[in-house]
Amino acid sequence: MLEQFKKIKSSALSAIHLVKNLADLEVLENKLLGRKNGELTGLLKGLKDLSSEEKRIVGQAANDVKQAIESAWAEKKLELSRVEWVKSSEKESVDVTQSALPLSKCGHFHPITLVKNKLEDLFISMGFMVLDGPELESDYYNFTAVNIPANHPARDMQDTFYIKKHPNWLLRTQTSSVQVRAMQKYEAPMRAIVPGRCFRNESTDARHEHTLYQIEGVVIDHGINFSNMKAVLEEVVKNLYGAETKLRLRPKYYPFVEPGVNGEITCVLCAGKGCRVCKQSGWLEIFGAGLIHPNVLKEGGIDSKKYQGFAFGFGLDRLVMLKYGIDEIRVLKSGEMKFLEQF
Amino acid sequence: MLISFNWLSQYLQLPGGVTPEQVAEKLKLSTVEVEKVERLGANLEKIVIGKVLKMEKHPNADKLLVCEVDIGQEKLQVVCGGSNVREEMLVALAKIGAKVRWHGEEELVELKSVAIRGVESQGMICASTEIGLCKMFPLKEEKEILDLSGRRLKIGAPLADALNLDDAILEIDNKSLSHRPDLWGHYGIAREVGALFKTKLKGYSVGKFKKGNDFDLRVKVAESKLCPRYMAVGIDGVTVGESPSWLKQWLLAVGLRPINNIVDITNYVMLDLGQPMHAFDAANLSSRQIIVRLAKDKEEFVTLDGENCKLDSSMLVIADEKQAVALAGVMGGEASGVSINTKTIIFESANFDAVSIRQTSMKLGLRTESSARFEKGLDPSLCELALAKAVELVLEICPDAKVVSNVVDEARWHLNRGIIELSMEFLQKKLGVDIKQKEVEEILKNLGFGLKAKKNILNVTVPSWRSGKDIVMAEDLVEEIARIYGFFNIPSQLPIFPIAPPEENKLRNLERRTAETLVKELGYTEVYNYSFVSTEQVKNLGDDLSKYIELDNPLSKEKPFLRRHLLPNLLENIKKNLESYDELKIFEIGKVFAAGETGVRAETNSDELLPRQDTWLETVFVNKKDNTPFWQARRAAETIFQSLNLEWQIASLDKVCVWEHPTRLAILSHNGKVVGVIHELNPLTANAFGIESRIGVLKINLSKLAEVMKEKIDVYKKVSVYPEMTRDVAFLVKKEISHVEIIKTLSHVDQLLKKVELFDVYAGDKLGIGKKSMAYHLIYCHQDRTLTTEEVNKAHDKVKTILKSKFGAEVRE
Repeated sequence: MLEQFKKIKSSALSAIHLVKNLADLEVLENKLLGRKNGELTGLLKGLKDLSSEEKRIVGQAANDVKQAIESAWAEKKLELSRVEWVKSSEKESVDVTQSALPLSKCGHFHPITLVKNKLEDLFISMGFMVLDGPELESDYYNFTAVNIPANHPARDMQDTFYIKKHPNWLLRTQTSSVQVRAMQKYEAPMRAIVPGRCFRNESTDARHEHTLYQIEGVVIDHGINFSNMKAVLEEVVKNLYGAETKLRLRPKYYPFVEPGVNGEITCVLCAGKGCRVCKQSGWLEIFGAGLIHPNVLKEGGIDSKKYQGFAFGFGLDRLVMLKYGIDEIRVLKSGEMKFLEQF
Repeated sequence: MLISFNWLSQYLQLPGGVTPEQVAEKLKLSTVEVEKVERLGANLEKIVIGKVLKMEKHPNADKLLVCEVDIGQEKLQVVCGGSNVREEMLVALAKIGAKVRWHGEEELVELKSVAIRGVESQGMICASTEIGLCKMFPLKEEKEILDLSGRRLKIGAPLADALNLDDAILEIDNKSLSHRPDLWGHYGIAREVGALFKTKLKGYSVGKFKKGNDFDLRVKVAESKLCPRYMAVGIDGVTVGESPSWLKQWLLAVGLRPINNIVDITNYVMLDLGQPMHAFDAANLSSRQIIVRLAKDKEEFVTLDGENCKLDSSMLVIADEKQAVALAGVMGGEASGVSINTKTIIFESANFDAVSIRQTSMKLGLRTESSARFEKGLDPSLCELALAKAVELVLEICPDAKVVSNVVDEARWHLNRGIIELSMEFLQKKLGVDIKQKEVEEILKNLGFGLKAKKNILNVTVPSWRSGKDIVMAEDLVEEIARIYGFFNIPSQLPIFPIAPPEENKLRNLERRTAETLVKELGYTEVYNYSFVSTEQVKNLGDDLSKYIELDNPLSKEKPFLRRHLLPNLLENIKKNLESYDELKIFEIGKVFAAGETGVRAETNSDELLPRQDTWLETVFVNKKDNTPFWQARRAAETIFQSLNLEWQIASLDKVCVWEHPTRLAILSHNGKVVGVIHELNPLTANAFGIESRIGVLKINLSKLAEVMKEKIDVYKKVSVYPEMTRDVAFLVKKEISHVEIIKTLSHVDQLLKKVELFDVYAGDKLGIGKKSMAYHLIYCHQDRTLTTEEVNKAHDKVKTILKSKFGAEVRE
């Protein structure tokens, strides 16, 4: 019987060695190891008729033979599988450059929303509240409360839409209208931004709109000074335009601040070298700011001897236009899908 | 405003080598916006004075001439299209190689020898716009060339030398000057530049003159509040004519066209000191009495430039006994102006109330150099200086002139010049930087402030030209010091704040989350539309115009109303884009204005309330092939509420707005409050907006939702380890039976029934009119054990029985 096992081992191993494909391997497997008619299986079945002494000797040998055949078979199977996979994987090739079908279409945010959200997130991370106020506002909150009394020339600078039959109602010309509302509601200390829609009664052209977006900011606390304002706004522009962005402040008159400044950054397009967008100056004006005028704090019920503050305002439309190189402001509110789909 | 560098330099000893560009840069960083510095003589190489000798018609072009131009050394043949070119004319001739701007465009182009329509042109006869001189020589008509005739100019001389163009002009943005009345003349700017360069301003010198006594000039100021000071003097023996060239040169340099010597003098004084002046022809005044009074209602007045104005009783005029002769501070009258025949003039140098001038000039639409200055609030002390300067100039320019009247000074003015107390501590606290007291004192002194120091406290007197509204408190002084010290010299220091998180803005978060869902999950695109709607849009919508808030001064007459709904403008978006798309999904989030509903307080201590201004989300869906886009609108609502993790209910609605499809309409509620509507647009409304396709609309009042929002709390339920069994049921019912009713009923049928899920609805002619087929998955499960088939059968039979009995359903077995 030992001989038989030896024989089957050598014939099986050479047969396995010669097999060329998985199908033949399977046939061979059946022939050798099949449950009913397998040659090796049959031989193994015969073991039970042996004496225990023989069983010990022959059984050991039979087991070695079985293992040798099985491992040769497994090795062969792996080898053949690899060969077959190489062939079939070639057949399964797809055009990876083609879109997944059917097409799924994502929608699009308005570019103003994209920039607004980014600024909001930045300010929230710096501990600012996000506030809102009415777009149809009273003359008081839009002008008088922020130190622009009746007949102040600054009222001319912002051509205003007024409401019929309500001479003291208007469409807010600036988000600064929320400053005093916020002070009255939250008192000092306070940090808040107000993103929102504003209106100016001026004819539209490529650079002017009657409907525009601003983000107003207010910081009020003990001992807030010019140096603080400069530092906070530097952080903001660096976050928006990169760490190497430089900020410069220049004097500008706004009735609700003293001193008033406008903030310019090194041109984002030419890095300060001078180009068409920055009118060759290397600088782009992107916000107005200043230390809050004591009259405004007073209107907000805040003691200007105890608290100081600064305020700032960004023109969102301008930031959007700079970011995406848009040279026609009216396209922002055109509802033109071919434009909106780009964002 | 244009500022001449040479003019400024007369008043200052600027450190050697300081360029106009450097002055401009300092002004920009510390004072005003300088938009441009233009070197007058720049880029004028190879442009010379030429004289047109002969001209002939161009053989091949109607509108061109072939000129022979003498440029001293040689004569050139030049093709020219100028409308005013004539023989003997002195012109600016650009030789080959000169740099010119074609048609006044920004870019400089080098001139080459060319043949124009077959005729060689050896140069170009220039228009002022082509050589950067349009400020000095504004065009009167489009095709006009620069006419230099009448000047003593050497033929062939370089243009820059001939016209003394060695000046530089600083173009200052007037808006940046609106709070600084003292900067509206060269002397004021010079003072500022002096402070910036730490160099002393020269005193303003004017000669004294003797008053005359040929006639007694009287001025009656009836409105001293509106005219705090009025000075006048009479001068006889003037010869009105062309100004001397130095005077014309100054005016031209800053863009003012010389008119005659008297008018030029008043303009010169205005540009020098910032004080507008006026000269009357004494012969045209009915008396030697000048009256400053309010106009009568509907009083008529003809201005210098021949414009007819109807005045009202808020407007201040200068009048003689018969009529108004000038609109105070705005413009002189035609009847009283100086002409070639004028022999005797009366100079006016006055101060007027800023608000009154501003209102008059706005009402009449007359904005002049004079009104622009007065409306900023001028220093009344300037009147005296300006008058003296003007008299000095007249006496110098007209040798026969002499002062023939008394000098009137009707004055009732007072300036608040301080004293303002400024402590170094306050300054430090405001700026966050220590500036040495000596430096602070120097800055203030250079700007003209008076100072008395008591240790660390400065008692500051405000100069007359900065008093009024400009400098009234210590904060104003802080600004003066900061800007001259230089904002760039103030270090940055981040403030220290507690780490408490900011209060959440619920509405804003809701806006962002709904937009996020619509864009990313549902493929909607966001638009921003205007807040205005037109009568026609409201009419097309079928809404009630009286519910709309109207603008008093709309930009266009077309859209005078404030939107109550976002829908009309969204429909216009659809209309506009539908030509190029088969499907559109658009939304907007924005405020709408509800007349008659009240919102926040209008003023601090008043009961008046502004109209309610809620933020709404509105979505529109259209697909040319989809005739029931209601489902897409509903899908949007479902997805939004799911992503917000909010429960919501839907119900049909009896009250229908005209623009809503009456049988495809539902209200959306959350937490027991109605927060929105889902509907299809009434096809007739769609047609009115020019749209043929069906439109699905979702509207959610986000302000309301933010107010009532209550997040769903999902309490954990232990997962049953026992298998679920699913049975389906399909049945026919009447169309009116709603899914909500079926769900509601089935939820109570049997404890084993855990979930009811709709998976198919079908209505068709085959089923019979008014019928629909519905199919549900029913999921049965027991928490504690495996269900037996009998149990499930029993429960399922119960379901069928109830469907039959309650809804008359024909259950398909």
